[in-house]
Amino acid sequence: MSQRKSYAVGTGLFIVLGFAALAYLATQTSSIANSHQGASYRFDAQFANVGQLKERAPVKVAGVRVGQVQSITLEPGKDVADVTLSIDNTYNQIPVDSVATIYTSGLLGDQFVGLQFGKAKQYVADGGHLGLTRPAASLEDMLSKFVGAGGVADAIGGTYAVRADFTNVGALSVGAPVKMAGVAIGSVASIKADPVKLDAVVTLAIDKQYNQIPDDSSVAVFTSGLIGSQYVAIQPGGSPNSLKDGDQLVLTQSAMQLEDLIGKFLVNGSSSGGSSNNAGGNGSPNTPAGKH
Amino acid sequence: MSAQTQYNNLVLQTLAQIGRCGLFLLQILAAIPLSLRHVRETLRQLWFVGAMSLTIIMTCGLFVGMVLGLQLYHVLAIFGGSSATGSVVALSIYRELGPVVTALLFAGRAGTSITAEIGLMRATDQIAAMEMMAVDPIAYVAAPRFLAGLIAMPLLCCVFCAMGIFGGHLVGVNWLGIDNGTFWSNMTATVDVWQDIINGVLWKSTAFGAVVALIAVFQGYTTPPTSEGVAYATTRTVVASSIAILALDFVLTAFLM
Repeated sequence: MSQRKSYAVGTGLFIVLGFAALAYLATQTSSIANSHQGASYRFDAQFANVGQLKERAPVKVAGVRVGQVQSITLEPGKDVADVTLSIDNTYNQIPVDSVATIYTSGLLGDQFVGLQFGKAKQYVADGGHLGLTRPAASLEDMLSKFVGAGGVADAIGGTYAVRADFTNVGALSVGAPVKMAGVAIGSVASIKADPVKLDAVVTLAIDKQYNQIPDDSSVAVFTSGLIGSQYVAIQPGGSPNSLKDGDQLVLTQSAMQLEDLIGKFLVNGSSSGGSSNNAGGNGSPNTPAGKH
Repeated sequence: MSAQTQYNNLVLQTLAQIGRCGLFLLQILAAIPLSLRHVRETLRQLWFVGAMSLTIIMTCGLFVGMVLGLQLYHVLAIFGGSSATGSVVALSIYRELGPVVTALLFAGRAGTSITAEIGLMRATDQIAAMEMMAVDPIAYVAAPRFLAGLIAMPLLCCVFCAMGIFGGHLVGVNWLGIDNGTFWSNMTATVDVWQDIINGVLWKSTAFGAVVALIAVFQGYTTPPTSEGVAYATTRTVVASSIAILALDFVLTAFLM
């Protein structure tokens, strides 16, 4: 009898332990730990682009979670996304002129909806509607405002060679595209180290149809995308004389680190708009001024 | 010609074995209502295959979680994402490692002893004696062990997963210095209850438990009544269970994803 009791107790313990482990997994390590079970109310907001926003993504006010995304559907007949937000009843004082924005947490993190309160005295009610929204800004858009993107030039009709000296070419490789205004106009023909000046001598093969490039243009090594390959960007100068075969570009900017890129974007990218890379004037803060 | 015949025999034998196994499963399922009368026997088996397996399951779960934390931390650090260690540890344990490793350990720890026990009962004519006494051996011997395996596997798997998370936390947070809050918030942000815990942990481990218990009971029940036969049956339990677990894992993953 006592032996029978001992295994019954042991089995009972085992079952309790198993269910306790299950309850722990389900409540402490999963999304349930984030979701509020309390009563909530819903209202919707239309976004031009929801990016990677998912259902059950958090809704935050001042960085504090107040609810979650209930559903994402396409507004019938329009190319706008209808996002239903489910907000805790505790937070029932959201002004009707608040702005809903889709943010990304961190560089590569998940997206969430942020609400910036307006000044209206009226509050959004259950089943209501939030008029002011800002769509998801994709990282690609942000970076492509700063760096150019595009294919490789076809080089039909021959090329002419231009030389540029860099202190550092980063991970630039032979064959990488040469771009102007984001359009590929040639490719890197060779990369050698100068034995005397101890810098990198890069020969650019530029398509002959682009023979109107000012000879005081500056040249820089950029990265396409976040972890993309590197390419050479030419930023036209103001000189009346054009580049000829065998010329050298004096104004060069070496390869930058991703951290620098993002830092630059954070500091002045938004104010310089989409033209920071392609700015013609030398006064632009992003235009390289000689060798680094 | 003889090679061809042998090949045909092998195929036929395998098919027949699968067929016998399927019929045996039906017999067990049919005998389950009857076996509920022997609920104490089921409880005793649950103690034996479940509670007695806890030590090995917990130890292995801890080490699997620790090694995952160690490996992932260094790989993710290359991409500057070592703070995601928590979520990757949890996802890999819930979706694959937890159910599969628990099932493999379960087959080795509990499946073999079920086979050996039933095989020896068969070899020493205990099963025949039960039939003589009008006790249905399927209801008294096979079904309780099958039920016990079916119940014990998901519970063991949950314990394994919890220990794995604990091990990953131990290495990631306590030793390698990931922030505690980041570890948990990343994990809770990526783990979905339905997708990962219900589908990943519970369904998979229940299916594995059924397969391992069925193979173990079947191999023991149909073993040739010799000591050599019992030895072979025990080996076959491990081999067949392992293959079945890994093959079924692929199928289940494809279906449940």
